[in-house]
Parts: sequence; C-alpha cells; structure tokens
Amino acid sequence: MGRPRIGAQFGRQFRPDGHFDRSAAHKPILVLEGVVKVFRADAPVLRRVDLTIERGEFVFVTGPSGAGKSTLLKLVYRAETVDEGRILFCGRDIARLTDESVPFLRRNIGVVFQDFKLVPYWSVFENVAVALEVAGMPSRIIRSRVAMALERVGLAGRGDDLASVLSGGEQQRVAVARAIVNEPAIVLADEPTGNLDPVLALDILGLFEEVHESGTTVVFATHDRSLLEQAPQHRLIVIDDGRTIEARQGLRAVGGALDAQRQHRDADDAVSTARLPL
Amino acid sequence: MKVVSRALRGVREHVRTQLVSVATVALALFCLAAATLAAQNIGEVSRRWGGPVRMTVYLADGATAEQIEALRSALSALPEVGSARYVSPSESRAVVAGDDRVMASASAELFPATVELSLVAGATDGGRVESLASRVRRLPSVSDVETYRGITGQLQSFLASGRTATVVFGVIVLLCAIAVVSNTVRLSLHARMREVEVLRLVGASPQYVRSPFLAEGALLGGGGALVAISLLAFVFFAMRGRVDSALGDVLGVRPVFLSLPILVAFVLGGAGLGATGSALAVRRWLKV
Repeated sequence: MGRPRIGAQFGRQFRPDGHFDRSAAHKPILVLEGVVKVFRADAPVLRRVDLTIERGEFVFVTGPSGAGKSTLLKLVYRAETVDEGRILFCGRDIARLTDESVPFLRRNIGVVFQDFKLVPYWSVFENVAVALEVAGMPSRIIRSRVAMALERVGLAGRGDDLASVLSGGEQQRVAVARAIVNEPAIVLADEPTGNLDPVLALDILGLFEEVHESGTTVVFATHDRSLLEQAPQHRLIVIDDGRTIEARQGLRAVGGALDAQRQHRDADDAVSTARLPL
Repeated sequence: MKVVSRALRGVREHVRTQLVSVATVALALFCLAAATLAAQNIGEVSRRWGGPVRMTVYLADGATAEQIEALRSALSALPEVGSARYVSPSESRAVVAGDDRVMASASAELFPATVELSLVAGATDGGRVESLASRVRRLPSVSDVETYRGITGQLQSFLASGRTATVVFGVIVLLCAIAVVSNTVRLSLHARMREVEVLRLVGASPQYVRSPFLAEGALLGGGGALVAISLLAFVFFAMRGRVDSALGDVLGVRPVFLSLPILVAFVLGGAGLGATGSALAVRRWLKV
C-alpha cells in the first residue's frame, strides 16, 4: 500500500456530480473518435482522427512541423476544443466538460513544453509546488512530494535556486518534475527536446522513459527522428495532412504499418495526399 | 492568507512599478482627503454661519422704558428666541463710532434704540425667520425688523457651491484613482502572463488565478490611502499652529482633522477602490 495517487482521484474530482466512476479504471486512458479540428476552413488540422491509447503506454507522436501534433495535445488538455468527434479521457468526453471542470481535468494531466513554461522569478521549488498548491494540498505534503519529484529528475537540493539561473536541460527537468509531482494519469510532452542539444535531448528522453517505467502513460510529440530511433520499441503515431498513421510495434515496423494504413486510407478517401515524413 | 502572500509576492517582483502606483494613488487620494477635510470644515462653518442667527428689532421713537421692557420680555418669551438684549441709543453710538471722535460727539438721539435677538438652533431657516419677523413687526413699539437674510443667503449659496465643487472633485479623483490602479494591475498582469499561463496549465481555478490580482489592487488602494492621510495629517498639523487662531477669530470655528471613523473608512474605501480598479483590469485583460 503506497501513498494515495492524486491521479487516482481524478474521476471523483472532475465529475461534476462528485461520484467516482469505478468503470473508468478499466477503460483506455485516451480515445479519440472521429476528431476534426479546423482553424482554416480550407485546411483542417485534424481530419477524422481515430486513436486509442491504453494505460501505461509510451506513445511517440511525430510528423512534420505544422502537421497537428501540438493541436492534438492541446485538444487533450482542453486548451482547444474539437470541432467534430469526441475525446474520451478515462471514459469521459472532454468536450462536454463544463468550464468549471477543466481545471480538475488538467490536475490529472502533466504537460511538458518545448519552451519549459517555467516562471523565471520563482524558485525551482515554487515552480514544481504550484501543481500541488492549486489543488489545495497541505504544505507539509507539498514539501515532501516536491522533494521526491526533484530527486526523480536529478535536481535534489536545487529547490532554492531561481528557475532563471538554470541551464536549458535543468529547466526542462524542472518542467518534468512539475508534470509528474501530482502523479497524473498521463503526461503529454510537446516537443520537449526542441530547445536542447542532442545529448540533453537523449537525457530528457531517458527521464520520460523512467516516468513511463513507473506506470505513467506518456504521449511524446517530436519531429526529431534521431529520438525515435533511440526508442524504436515504442508505439509510433504519425500525423500528416491531418490524418494519423500508426505503427503499434514502433519505428522498426513503421514501413509495413504505414503501407497498410495508406491502402486503407486510399480506399476510404481517394483524394488523400498524405505524405510520410520519415 | 495564501492569497495575500501570493499578492505580496507579485508586488515584490515588480516593486518599482508598484511604488510608482502607490505614489500616484496616494497623490490622488491625498487630493480627495484634502477635499474631504475641507468639506468637513466648510460644514462646520456652514452650521455656524449658514442661517441668520440674529435679528435686530428697531424701536419706535418715543418708546418708554416700561414699553421697552415689556417688549423685551415678550420677545424673550418667543420659542424661536434664545436671548433678547436692549441696546440703547448711546450704546449704538459707541458701537458705530468706535474711535471716531466726530461720530462719538454726535447726539445719541440720532442713533436708534434696538433689541438684539439671538435665535435658537432650528429657528434659523428662511421660512421661520420671515414668520418671526412678521409677527414681531406687529408688536407695539416696533418700528422695523432686520433679519440679515441677504447676507446669510449669499454665504449659504457660497458654501453650497463649495460643497458641490468638493463632491464633483471627489468623484473625478475617485475615477482617476480607479484608472491608476486598473492600469497598474494591467501592467502587472502583462508582466506576470507567464505565471498566469502556468497556473492555468496546472489546473488552477479561475478564482485562484484572479484572487492575488484583486488582493494586489486592494493593497495598492489601501496603501495609497494610508500614505495619503499620513501626508495630509503632516501638512494639517504643521499648518494648523499658524492659521488656527486667525481662522478662529474670522470664522468663529477652529479647523479640525478628520475623525477616526472617517480615517478608517478612508483606508477601507481606498482598498475597495483598488479592488474595483483591479477587478476592472482582470475582467478586461485576464481570460481564464
């Protein structure tokens, strides 16, 4: 019997009626059904995307710049809303959440960005603790959990440093610590290595691997092929021209999977012009 | 308490902007406090001089001492009259002549005998004074009655204009102070946009995000009000020693500083005003 996971409480937290939905524990953590997102009418970013992510998976999302990787993640943490279709997070339709429920959803999703999104004049501790403070956690628990999170990302003892004095790699570690400190059900990473050199990028990828090994679902968006080659065993989702193409067995199997997917898509949509970036 | 500490953290991070804002708000509120102080003392002067507090009854020529005493007694018995004092022609001459030897050597018969009435509080409004004058005129031995309504009417009108100007000035200053706080909080919001973004990202409720900015506005307003009344108190007490006796002789009232309840209300009002300005900025510029 370990510590209670904050993430385990999310069903009760973001359901407006306050009742815990036990069946959610057996459902895929994330399901996208016919998701369409349009910013410009003549060029939809996502065209009827169907996708299921199971609990505990590590999924790479890749594709060229502007393909819709970030949009896909934004739809999951409700920074954007779908135009058609639905997104089920632990069985609940995100699009139907009220505005009051959105913060509760976000407390159960850790997000890491390319530009770290740290507050430069806050200390490392404050930048991580904020994820627990917004949930009203007692300060004693906050102190111990932040210390553990910083230890996990290799920044033990650096809590008093200002975020602005850290290197890029260290700042991204703080961002990862903030994303995992409340033990969320899923961690979304949007090009988390985009601002880092190749060595640090591998370092951060290793950090996400460790997070994944502890049981957390990780969705890692990147256009960096060298990173995909470092972890070819993970499931790969390619977004191109607003559609997804999957390789469940990872990069090694991507060729065959993509061909199959392409044939299926061509039959479904003769005008599709999706190009593969790999 | 966490909201206040988060607000204070925001203030600390942008201390220069906040100091300029507090100084600006303090200046605006200083003007408002000075106007309030002036209004309070004008009110005191108004109460003292705003209505005709005296009346002069001119006696008919040839009134005997018995008739004069009977009239004085009758006037004293009127409910509107506080006191009635007989002023003989020689007393009138002494008052009018002063140091003027020529006037002092004139015959006392040239000066009228009068009864000076002082009116009780509540009997000094225009209608009651005219009614009293009309009744007094009908009494025997009375030649004429002077109510001084012309002079007090002008003073009343002057004081009313002063009060109106104070209210208009106060409203303008209030709007300016709200605008200053609102713009300061807007600057603070822009400077702390990353913080707001992070808070939204980690699941802070809209209220959690907004509350420190509202507290910051209240702190700015309340702080500005405190500085303003401290400055006003310093100026008031430094100047009072010099003008106190002169004003007392001229106006018959001595200047007084704002009372404690007004001071407390002023600080709380400043905080409320700051929170209002902040709420306007948050509503306009902070989308959560």
